[in-house]
Formats: sequence, structure tokens, C-alpha cells
Amino acid sequence: MKAIEKAFGTVRVLNGVNFDVRPGEVHALLGMNGAGKSTLMNILAGAILPDAGTITIDGTPCAFSSPREAKQAGIGLVVQEVDTALFPGLPIYENLAADELADVKHHPIRSLREEKKWAAALLHRVGLSIPPTKLVRDCSLHEKQLIVLAKVLSSNARYIILDEPTAALSEAETKRLFAIIHELKQQGVGFIYISHKLKEVQEIADRLTILRDGRIIYQGAAGSLSLEDIVLHMTGTKQAATAKQARTYGSEIAFAARGIKIDKTSTTVDIYAHRGEIVGIAGLVGAGKTELAESLVAHRKTSGEWQLDGQHYTFSSPYEAIAAGLCLIPEERRKQGLFLPESVQTNLTVRLLSWLSRWQWISRMKETDAANGLVRSLGIHPPSPSTAVRHLSGGNQQKVVIGKWLNTNARVFLFDEPTKGIDVHAKQDVFSIIRTLADEGKTVLYFSSEFRELLEVCDTIYIMVDGRLLARLPAAELTYEQLVYYCSGGEIDGPAGRFRDTVEKSGVVYS
Amino acid sequence: MAQPAVSATPSKKAVLSTLEFLYKHGTLLAILAVIAYFGITQDQFFTYENFSDILRSISIVTLVAIGITFSLIVDGFDLSVGSTVSLATIASAAALVLYRQEIFVTLLVPLLLGIAVGLLNSLLIVKFKLPDLLATLATMYAINGVQLTYTKGFSIYNDMPLPDGGTAPGKFIPSFLFIGQGELFGIPFSVLLMLFVVIAAHLFLTYTKPGRLFYLTGENREAARLSGIPVNRYRTYAYVISGFFAALGGIVLASRIGTGQVSAGASFLMDGVAAAYIGFSVFGAGKPNVIGTLFGSILMGVLLNGLTMMNVPYYAQDIIKGAILVGALALSHWQKK
Repeated sequence: MKAIEKAFGTVRVLNGVNFDVRPGEVHALLGMNGAGKSTLMNILAGAILPDAGTITIDGTPCAFSSPREAKQAGIGLVVQEVDTALFPGLPIYENLAADELADVKHHPIRSLREEKKWAAALLHRVGLSIPPTKLVRDCSLHEKQLIVLAKVLSSNARYIILDEPTAALSEAETKRLFAIIHELKQQGVGFIYISHKLKEVQEIADRLTILRDGRIIYQGAAGSLSLEDIVLHMTGTKQAATAKQARTYGSEIAFAARGIKIDKTSTTVDIYAHRGEIVGIAGLVGAGKTELAESLVAHRKTSGEWQLDGQHYTFSSPYEAIAAGLCLIPEERRKQGLFLPESVQTNLTVRLLSWLSRWQWISRMKETDAANGLVRSLGIHPPSPSTAVRHLSGGNQQKVVIGKWLNTNARVFLFDEPTKGIDVHAKQDVFSIIRTLADEGKTVLYFSSEFRELLEVCDTIYIMVDGRLLARLPAAELTYEQLVYYCSGGEIDGPAGRFRDTVEKSGVVYS
Repeated sequence: MAQPAVSATPSKKAVLSTLEFLYKHGTLLAILAVIAYFGITQDQFFTYENFSDILRSISIVTLVAIGITFSLIVDGFDLSVGSTVSLATIASAAALVLYRQEIFVTLLVPLLLGIAVGLLNSLLIVKFKLPDLLATLATMYAINGVQLTYTKGFSIYNDMPLPDGGTAPGKFIPSFLFIGQGELFGIPFSVLLMLFVVIAAHLFLTYTKPGRLFYLTGENREAARLSGIPVNRYRTYAYVISGFFAALGGIVLASRIGTGQVSAGASFLMDGVAAAYIGFSVFGAGKPNVIGTLFGSILMGVLLNGLTMMNVPYYAQDIIKGAILVGALALSHWQKK
């Protein structure tokens, strides 16, 4: 790919990017969210058209106008969400043959025995020894991923894009995947490897390309770059730490949870926070932050022990957790946080109905007063409690979701990606609400993958990787680069790296 | 450039508001149009007797439909109401005729049975997480089987012969018959009962805390759960209420016809569902609501009454019912968009 350019509207996403893969190598493509990785790969896979630039495959120039054409040219894509590429109710061999079946020119009558034999050979090629008649639904995630890989191979792909292939894999499964990649490399297949897990990238990649803001920052052999250098290239020049107002918070532990089980990763987590402390939980997408947040309010199946202001609890439903003083502002606010057809007022007063009613009868006047007060203090626009929340902007909807907890007994606030999909202005509003809450003595847990925002808001930050909390670090002593480094799998206890000298480890480290 | 824009807006607005008006009041207009049409074409239509007749005939459907409305409000569905009506009819008839019970037990037994059916439904749906349609379809069959097995397929009536050679000891007592046949201030008691239930349920759902929580549970169960609403408890309540009102409908039915007819409640399921869904569109509510349900069953009642006067056979009337239901569903679907 030469001099690829792409702009969405006035935003230039790719700026003259050159990218090449040789047969039999793994070329890793790295960059922060928004660096242009996905756009570049979508162009290669034929999903979007470049504004300028050329693509050449084995010497012949190509111009893809559809994913089908890219596939025929030998480009294969293994998407991150493998479930979207498979039919769960069908056996493996039918999944593998699905593309061929969709081809109109395919012979209408097929021999089942031949097909199964063909599928078994393909599975063997990706190192799977499961019967091709097994239903995809019954396969593990690792197996599904390899099935997608086999499907890609069956279309004679010579260049395969792997998008975050290890995001949901265990260590052992990752090792097996890497062994298969090595094998296929020997057969002359070229890989483009996209991942945020930098340690694995170092292990598997032959060459690296680091993108930042649509430009190539580094391109070269993988071995010559240390993990620290990769992070520096990805994040750009070190920024002067923004002058952050020092916040003080209480010394007594207001919230603690021990042995909270995260079902998805089969890990347990210990976490605590002081009164008035804003505690960040930093992790990449897929690190298990949402799972942890939802487990902490017992919305997910979990086990463990909670402690609020010295009192011990075990929760089995959000009803109990909320009664004890926990609350969650969920990530999917439209799906999990709002009653969309209802008015702002109804949404804001869900938790206040007991106070607003007498003998179960809701006082309309009191309710409107309460809603008006919240609308005004939160700055919700339009400032009318009777508007249906589905007509509000994302930022104002988020204020409503937060607002429903403000005048309640909630003492511990869990925010899961609270700035997702809201504008800069609303972001600042949300931050100031969070700070006000903490100043009032509430405890805040802030789950996010937006590392800059975490550093801006939080007093203390937990590093979360693969369903585990690895360290509890004071935010004032962390830099953006360190945070990226740790969350990408950089060792906190490892040999003194370039970031190491500035880090004072404090608090408890869990492993 | 401003000129055409100004001239274009009002007409566009007018079209829009006419459409909105139709969405909002379409069902009401349909009722009025139907009444006007029958009033003009049928001489006996505009009489007190006829209107009292219509209301009497819809009182049972409305009771059943209000139960269905509750299950719809929590985003569920209850197909078993028809069988519950039959069960309650048989139970009250059996209590009177076979066991010589007084009014208290006669009312208590069917109502408790209705609540039990509701609990069974919620056990299957809330606890075992079966899909509501399938679970209540299963209970619909099972409950229907229970009342058939109990009666061996025979209706229960006054002085009925018993297998041992004698006649049944009890009979339908006047206080029980009053529910379905009596009048208070010249108004049928069953109509008064229906109006009382409609008003009480409407006030409960619109103005009280539990009423609000019923709606929120149905609108977004996950958000409701994360807001600390015990959603499973409210879903259970809804099915219990649905069973209770179906049983109440069954009591009125037994009292009206004065016998315990087997499987007499089956037809109330579809009429009740239709009334509740027509109710979605009344006043542009876009969601299940009791007042809408009342208007839904009025529309059906008026139509059936008028069509009977016009000598349209009862089997053909189902075609009209189906058409009305489709219209109401389409209307409320467009409203949502």
C-alpha cells in the first residue's frame, strides 16, 4: 500500500501512509485508538475506498471496491468479534463452506463426505483436532477464532489481517495461536497483526509499523525497539504533566470488596477506596472493566464480600447492592441506564419515589420540584423535566443517568466509561459532577480506557489487565505513557525501564 | 429565499399535525364512527337497553383484558387467561352446586385458583426463565385440561344428576347471581364492577409508586434492575394480577349464565388481547394502559353488537375483529416511529 490518504469530512485520518507485508512475515500495526489503524485495514480489506494511493499485491496493482474483491485478491480478515463471522447453529464444516455456497456458480450438489474431509484438512492446517461436525455454538472462543482463520485460509488468502486476536484468549491459547502463525509463516502466508498487547507483539512480530494521527512514526524491525520506545512512539512526545489541583480525601476506607469473581475471565479481584477518593480503574477495552463494575453491583453473577463504612455485606442482586449504598452509571447508557420513552422527570426520580410519595401515592408537585431542582443543578438542556429523554443529546442523557442517584442514599458511585459518546463540554460537566460528589465525601470508582481522562480526574489508579488488578498507583505520580505501558502488559515490577525511575509504588499490589 | 420557506412550513405543519391528531385520536374516532354508523342504520341501536347490553357484554372481556394489560406492561404476555376464566367458572359453580357453599367461599376459591395460576406462570417465566409466550401457552393447555378433567367434560348446573344417582345438593344462590345479572341504580352490577376496576387500576398504574415501577420494569428491564427496582418481584406481581382478574372475569361469567360451562372462557383470550392492544393507540399512549384497554373493548363490543343487529353471522364477525386488531397495531407501531 503506497501513499494511502483518507479523510472523513475535514478530518484527515490517513496522511500518505506506506505499508507493506512480505510473504512469510508478521508485520504488526500499532497505534492508539484513533491513530488510523482500522481505517488503513478497512481500505486494505475493501470495506472503504482511499482518497488517494495505490495497493499492489504480488506486483499487480489492485483497486478494491468491495470486500469480495479484496478476498479474491488474497486478503483475509479475522475480525476481533469472531462470533459475528460465524453461524453458531451450524456445524463447523458448513461454516467453512458457507462462503463457497454463497457463490452462485458453485455446483448445487455437494458430497457431504467430501466436504467433511475437506473441512477436517483445513482444521488440521490451523492445528485444530476437533470433529468438523461439532456445532460452532459448542466451540470455545479460541476454537472459533481458529475456525475463522481456517475459513480465511480456505479462500486462498495469502495475506491475513488479525485484529486483536488475543484479546479474549488465555495465555496458553495465545501460545497455541502463535505456534500456528509460525507454521503458516513457513508456508509463505503474510500476517498483519493488530494488537494493544505490546508484549505479545514483541514476541510474534518481525516488523513493526507505529501509526500516530494518521502518519507513520516508526517502521522497521521489531527486535530493535524496546517496549518503552514503542509506547513513546505511540503516545508521542512526553507532555508536561498538567498542573492538577491536589485533592485531599479521607483516611478511612469507605468501600472495600474482596474476592469479587469475574465470571468471564475466571479471576477474582480485591479493591478498596477511601472516603472522598476518586479511584480510577484503567484498562484496555476487553480488560474486564465493565465486567468488574457490573459484578461489584451484583448485576452479573459473582461472589465475594463487600464492605461499606465498616459493615459487611454479600450481594446477590443490584437491588441489595443499591440498598446498601452502591450505584452504577453503566457504560451503555441508552440500553442500561435510561427509560428512553419516559420523561426526564420520570428518569430522574426513579430512586426518589419513596420520598415523593405518601401511602404509595406519588405527589406530582413534589416530583416536579425534585426534578426541576436536579435539572437546574445539573444544567440539563433543554431545561424542562417533561422532555422525553430519547430527545436529549448524549451528554444530557448521561447527566440524567447520574442525576437519578444524586439525592439518594448512594455513597459509592461506579462510573463505567462515563464520557463515551459525549462532547467535550459535557465531559467537563461530568468531571465536575464527579469532583463535587467526592468533595461531599462520596467515594467514586471510575472505570475507563481513556487514559488522559483518568489522569485528569482520579486520585488513585488501578491497573487492570485481563481481568486482574495489577497495581494501585497514585495518579499524581503516573504519566500517560506509563499508564499505556502498564495496561498494554508492561511489567510493573519488572527491571527498571525508562518509566520505572519516576514510579513510586504504593498501596497494595495484587497478583 | 426565506419566502418559500415561510410559505412551505405551515402547510407541512398542518399535514403533520393532522397525522398526529389521527394517531392520537384515531381509535376514538373509529369508535365514534362505528357508533354513528350503527345509530343511523339500525333503529334499536340508540336505546338505553342496547347500550346497557353492550356494556354488560364487554364487562367480562374488560376484566380479562386489564389482567392482560398488566402482563403487557411488564413486557410479558399471558396466554393462559382464557383457561383461567374457564377454571374460575367451573370452580365457583362447583362450590355452589356440588358443595353447597355460601357466597364467601364461592368467591374465594376461584380467586385463589387464579392467583395460583399466576404464581405458576411467574415461576416458569421469572424463575425458570422460559419465554413468556411458550410458558403461558403450556399453562393454558394444562389449566384447560384441569377443568375438563374435574368436570369430566360436563357442565355444572342446578339440580344436575350426580353419578351416584341423586341430584346435586346446592344451587346457584341469588347473591351470586346478582354479580352477573343484578342491577344497582338501574345499572348492571357487572358494569359497575368493571368501571370500578378500570378506575382503580388506572389510578394505581398512573399515580402510585408501584404503578410507576410496573411500567419502568417493562420499558427497560436492565435499566430498571440497575436502578434498584426488584424487577422479578414486579413481573411476578403482574402475572398474579393477570390471573386474579381472569378469575374475577370467570366469576362474573358463571353468574351471568347461571351454570358452570366447561371451556366457556376460551374466547375471552383473543378478545382480551385485542382490546389491550387496541388500547395502545388510544390517546396516542403508545404503551399498554387501562383506559385504552376499556376503549378497546368498547370498540369491539359496539362492533359486535351492531354487526349482530345487521345479521352478520358470529363466525364472520371474527374477520372484522382481526381487521380491527391489525389496524390498531399498525397505528401504535407508527406512533412509536
